[in-house]
Amino acid sequence: MAKSLLIISRQAPWSGPGAREALDIVLAGGAFDLPIGLLFLDDGVFQLAARQNAKALQQKDLSANLQALPMFGVEELFACGESIAQRGLDPHALALEEARVLASADITALIDRYDQVITL
Amino acid sequence: MNALTVGTRAIELDKDGFLVDLSDWSNDVASALAAAEDIELTAEHWEVLELLRSFYAEFQLSPATRPLIKYTALKLGPEKGNSLHLNRLFKGTPAKLAAKLAGLPKPTNCL
Amino acid sequence: MSTLHVLSHSPFGDERLTSCLRILGNDDALLLSGDAAYALQPGTVPFTALSARRLSIYVLVEDAEARGIEVPDWACAIDYPAFVELSIHHDKVNSWL
Repeated sequence: MAKSLLIISRQAPWSGPGAREALDIVLAGGAFDLPIGLLFLDDGVFQLAARQNAKALQQKDLSANLQALPMFGVEELFACGESIAQRGLDPHALALEEARVLASADITALIDRYDQVITL
Repeated sequence: MNALTVGTRAIELDKDGFLVDLSDWSNDVASALAAAEDIELTAEHWEVLELLRSFYAEFQLSPATRPLIKYTALKLGPEKGNSLHLNRLFKGTPAKLAAKLAGLPKPTNCL
Repeated sequence: MSTLHVLSHSPFGDERLTSCLRILGNDDALLLSGDAAYALQPGTVPFTALSARRLSIYVLVEDAEARGIEVPDWACAIDYPAFVELSIHHDKVNSWL
């Protein structure tokens, strides 16, 4: 049985390569059928903001890419409720419908469930 | 420079035979790319190519094999969304070859 | 299941430490390396936050020494071999890159 992997993505989407790198790890893991989860934490939750427009910065559309996660077999998608609240985002209007919003204690339990964790 | 001649136009290709400018794609370009791979496009090929183009329009990335199978099963049913069918149509490397013929960027996660 | 959380960024103007403390489990431990050792600077918000909780806190001794940080009695100064030991004793290591 392959080891399960949790990626914690905590970088904002347009500031540097961190958000993209976290997503690439998850997509590659999904393509290999690894049991993989993705948690958005801290500024990482800005990746889930509605009405983003990649064209404004002439970059690849990270929001569109995130929608492909279930197609890549990645269904374990989570977002930190406290990070969302701190940043004034609406937890019911995230750009990734499949993401479950978790309280801090649930995140502790989530990390416990996985064999390995990578925080980017 | 790698190029493909379609009618009177020279279409620029990268070293792996993918379109350099994705907007160069047309049905004729797809047929010419397929001919270069010794494939004659049938209705079964076309429906997969169209599917890939809609995958790209929706997600802005080229699918690896597994998501391609999953998406095909979702849209065309399990009798077409399986590796056997897709491998037969696209010489055993559906993610890579079908993406090429559909005018998508090379899939980065098919490794 | 226990996790060793490894921090290496300064806690000032960065929320890794705050978030880490928020999601740290009871069996987890925290290792401060590099600039994260500045979290042990007395009289600061990170220092107070760390000292207020009964946690297993470790700091790499050379990183603390280099920065002129005196290690408080509620933290444990360790060398690299001890860091390796510590990593093995936990089920996993989460490095906050």
